[in-house]
Amino acid sequence: MNKRILSVGVAALAAAALTLGVTGCAPAKKLTIAFVMGAESDPFFQAMKVGAQAEAEAQGVDLVWQGDPSEYNVATQVPIVDNVLAQSPDGLVLIPTDPNGLQASADKAIEAGVAVAMVDTTVSDASKAVITITGDNADGGAKAADAIAAAIGYKDGKTYEVVVGLTSATATTNVGRLNGFKDRVASTYPGIQIKDVAYSASNPQTANSNVNNWLTKYPNLKGIFAIDGTNASGAAAALQAKNLVGKIALVGYDAYPANVDLLKQGVFTALIAQDPAAEARLAIKTLVEYIKNGTKAATHDVVIPNVTLDANTSAADFTKYTYVATN
Amino acid sequence: MSNSKQETPVSTGFWNQVKASFKNQSTLLVVTLVVLGVVFQIASQGIFLTTNTLGTVLNDWGSYILLAVAQTFVVITGGIDLSVGATVSLSSVVAGWVLVKGMGLDNNTTGSDAIPYVLIAVLVSLLVGLAVGALNATLINVLKIVPFIATLATMGAMTGMAIIISGGMPLQGPNDFQLGMPYKVFGVQLPISTTVLAVMIITVLCGLFLHKSKFGLHTYALGSNPFATRAAGISPARHITKVYMLSGGLAGLAGAYAYIRLGAGSPTNGAGMELYAIAATVIGGASLMGGVGRIISVALGTLVLFTVQSGLLMVKVVTVSPSLKQVIVAILIAAAVAVQTLQKPGRK
Repeated sequence: MNKRILSVGVAALAAAALTLGVTGCAPAKKLTIAFVMGAESDPFFQAMKVGAQAEAEAQGVDLVWQGDPSEYNVATQVPIVDNVLAQSPDGLVLIPTDPNGLQASADKAIEAGVAVAMVDTTVSDASKAVITITGDNADGGAKAADAIAAAIGYKDGKTYEVVVGLTSATATTNVGRLNGFKDRVASTYPGIQIKDVAYSASNPQTANSNVNNWLTKYPNLKGIFAIDGTNASGAAAALQAKNLVGKIALVGYDAYPANVDLLKQGVFTALIAQDPAAEARLAIKTLVEYIKNGTKAATHDVVIPNVTLDANTSAADFTKYTYVATN
Repeated sequence: MSNSKQETPVSTGFWNQVKASFKNQSTLLVVTLVVLGVVFQIASQGIFLTTNTLGTVLNDWGSYILLAVAQTFVVITGGIDLSVGATVSLSSVVAGWVLVKGMGLDNNTTGSDAIPYVLIAVLVSLLVGLAVGALNATLINVLKIVPFIATLATMGAMTGMAIIISGGMPLQGPNDFQLGMPYKVFGVQLPISTTVLAVMIITVLCGLFLHKSKFGLHTYALGSNPFATRAAGISPARHITKVYMLSGGLAGLAGAYAYIRLGAGSPTNGAGMELYAIAATVIGGASLMGGVGRIISVALGTLVLFTVQSGLLMVKVVTVSPSLKQVIVAILIAAAVAVQTLQKPGRK
């Protein structure tokens, strides 16, 4: 009898403690989401940061934003992930700079009980991540081919010379976009000849020089696909200086405010835009819901398609897709 | 040039005279340029030696020559300035920021209306460059950090600052693109633009300053024998400050050149430029050990580098892939330096 009263008492106490504990601790425990991106200097990640900060505030979580200041590099990213995990975050949003190089870091986080989301790129085995969200670079390249074909008034049986300005042979975004562009040209626009590609090594002055030389080498040049922001800047300046705006189709990538202004002025025929802020918002929202309620993502692998911005784009879409700087 | 005359033994034979002239860095580079010109003219099926292509080569030369001149002064003192590329980025970004965020302007201000604002951009860039130079000098003189590390640190910091100020994106402001377009004189198209001409004048002035002034003499003295320089009553610290500020100022002007070329200040405007500037300086015969270097040769060395860069893109008879192009440029730099070293066994 005594024993029974005791056990009931203990149980009641325990229940009371539990209740107290839950109600007492909940407001104090604020979730921390770590966000390790590729390269701070890339406007793409600047735009992503805006989305991440907005969503973190909306969800009431702390955001730890980290990454290399300027280099998209496996060697510098791995130690950054280690440092971030040492702070025991509840969730980790990772932009792996290499699918194999960051596999161990991702596994380590998951083993430590951290909820992980992959954004923009992914690791070789992301099955244990809560969600993977990628932009589709090949789709962007294909859309660029469509935009150039539309601008030059493509007709079967005729030939058109175009060139592609790249940053390097290895940047994954460049490779994806170039392959998408080539595939679409081969399948749909056989009259388009990709005459040449050249690298800017991230310097818009080099990109400018490449385009100036192409204009001399290919007097019948019809179109330029500037595969990223650096090449877009260099090519736009070359066409403006030589009064070739509107005479040569220029399709750029990424909706920096400067590029959007140039599109409205007719320097760019079209811009292929990604939505990095949306990628970041979805990643943080999904992680917070998973950590708080155990809710799994409706779709494990989400692909956010690119959009084509051109003269027909509505003002609302320009506002939606133009990258916003953090300052 | 006078150095080699003194070193060359008096000779009467034609072959000896030819050999002697090849020991002169500038002659060697002029011959190299002629050979490259002929080779690329043939390989490009006649489009290399045209005002269009030469205009592009000179435009690239203009982007880099101020950095190569800056590097020459620094290298002669036995130092190195790795921060020049980052200074190009930062100065062009700050110029863009002042015009766009500070004065509320955009790229709708064009042509001659934009000239006053372009001049503001030049002034702002110059001041930013001088400030970076002063910072380098302080790290070297006060904190006693070796130039390689001091300017490496500044390079990182200035790249970061450029990103922070610009938000990682190009700041597009008022510009007159015609400043960068080659002139037509009496109906004849020249390959030289206003910006290239301005840079040529600055280069000549710097050449006169290095080779004809007391400042230049002290610069060589510091690189050849710092102890004797101190004994002669010259303050090495004060001279180092002037040299790094000159380097920073020239890099700032190169930032203004980039702004005018692109119509925008972008945090990647100077990406990787320091290495090309150093390569051009070395191709021009300056020694990284200090005490040796001439502006005319460095100007020609820079021209060789960008003749190759553009030339390889213009080649039509074979397809030179961009990756192969990088390899060829690297081999040419190594070859240029090797030729010099072998030509001057007695020189340090």
